[in-house]
Amino acid sequence: MVKRVATLTSYLILNLSRSLAGVVPLALALAFGIIAFEYGMDQPQFITVSGIGIGGICLVTALLLASRANRASSYLLVARLRWRAELLVAIVLASLAITAALGMLVSIANLFAGRLTLEFPSALWVLPTWLPLWLLAATLALPLASLVERGGSHLIGYALVAGLLIANDRKAFLIREGIDWLARIVTAALWPINTLAERASAGIHGRDYAMAWALTCIYALLLFTLAAALFGDKDLLWSE
Amino acid sequence: MIRTYSLTKYYNATPALRQLTLEIPAGAVYGVLGPNGAGKTTLLQLIMGFVLPSSGTIDRGGISPADIGYLPERAFYPPRFTVRSYLDTIARLVGSRERNRQDEVTRLLRQVGLSEVGDRRMGACSRGMLQRLGLAQALLGDPDLLILDEPSLGLDPSGQLFMRQQIAALNSSGKTVLLSSHHLDEVTRVCTHVAVLSRGRLVRAGDLASMLAPRARVVIDCGPVPPELARQLHERLPNITISDQRIVLGGDAVAHKAEILRQLLDHDVDIRQLSEVRSTLEEIFMEATEW
Repeated sequence: MVKRVATLTSYLILNLSRSLAGVVPLALALAFGIIAFEYGMDQPQFITVSGIGIGGICLVTALLLASRANRASSYLLVARLRWRAELLVAIVLASLAITAALGMLVSIANLFAGRLTLEFPSALWVLPTWLPLWLLAATLALPLASLVERGGSHLIGYALVAGLLIANDRKAFLIREGIDWLARIVTAALWPINTLAERASAGIHGRDYAMAWALTCIYALLLFTLAAALFGDKDLLWSE
Repeated sequence: MIRTYSLTKYYNATPALRQLTLEIPAGAVYGVLGPNGAGKTTLLQLIMGFVLPSSGTIDRGGISPADIGYLPERAFYPPRFTVRSYLDTIARLVGSRERNRQDEVTRLLRQVGLSEVGDRRMGACSRGMLQRLGLAQALLGDPDLLILDEPSLGLDPSGQLFMRQQIAALNSSGKTVLLSSHHLDEVTRVCTHVAVLSRGRLVRAGDLASMLAPRARVVIDCGPVPPELARQLHERLPNITISDQRIVLGGDAVAHKAEILRQLLDHDVDIRQLSEVRSTLEEIFMEATEW
């Protein structure tokens, strides 16, 4: 299984990089690297802003990979898999690998341009903090992708994500309007992500950080399980 | 052996396959025939596990779909990969070891006549080359069962001949081949068994030789047959047609041709020609799929 997933992962990366769509993550990373770092960034900002920004690129990359896998050319690959979920694992790993390369590119370029200041050894916490965020982004992309959706389920997914983000942004409004229960649900739902970013940027890597880290990974696992269940017994009717 | 029991597949409310019970014996070259929309590709995709049955079951005889060599009806390939690197990717998925993998890919490229285009990008390959590549990737891992969906689709006559030769060679090496085709001539030449589908239903199935045999006819061109003899023959053998100067034997009557000839000679009937007319798969197909 490991060998098949590794083969599929490298195939997906090569396939994306040799297509026009492969320009999209690179262009996003370059745009992010230029715009977000325009006025310079210190380490706490870098952890939160870049972690979530590059996480967004990870989401887009996973959607692109899933979109390219949702074609008739995948029949010959899926035919050789023991479990369809292997393709989903490969999509997640490929998007993490591409994101890591782009994140590295953005960080090193800005470091050399003097627009990013990092303090060592605390800067070593950056990658362990970003990894669950990217993992969450990559696994979130799966149920949102046409490859996995069934009966328009991805549209429900998009609506839920949009609703969650809007509600998070309008929490004060929700409380003022007396629907504070919704504000509490949103706060609870996003606690792991917010806590992970906040604690990491404050340089506090205690119990809350560990719990937020673990919960973010559990979110990712749940999303992956949902995607695998949807994709596992879906009729694969692909055309080019 | 592969068995399907009451296999039914609906796409939304549209039936693609209805109550299909079929046995595909090991070592057979089994042809699935039918007009467009008959359910051929659906049947193959069900066996491959790409689509799931609405009801009914499939017994693959212990073979995992991952161990089946599969060539889809229209195989699409990533255009920027080379032929060799693509085969190498599939070989890795199959689980070939590093050293064996290179040898296997080289051998299969040679077998399908693509040795000289191994380093060519697939986007620059002709339709015929891609179909040969499709066969090569299906053969990776030396599967015991191959499912070929319209293997000769879009091939020129020499490509079709090549594909027939490959299928015959696979069969003689003991492999089971399940194929769908519109080329009745191809099916007649390579298949040992045939199933005819029409509007999602199985209308004929069996081994090809016994399907064609009862339909053979013997035609005797002769002089006028005395009415008394004609009456006697009709009474004994219902499957005999006697017209002015021609006698046609069908069904059971074929086995009695020597006896009938003797009787004709005894009555001094002038016999000019005797010919055996074999029924064709086309006749069976047209009859079975008549709407």
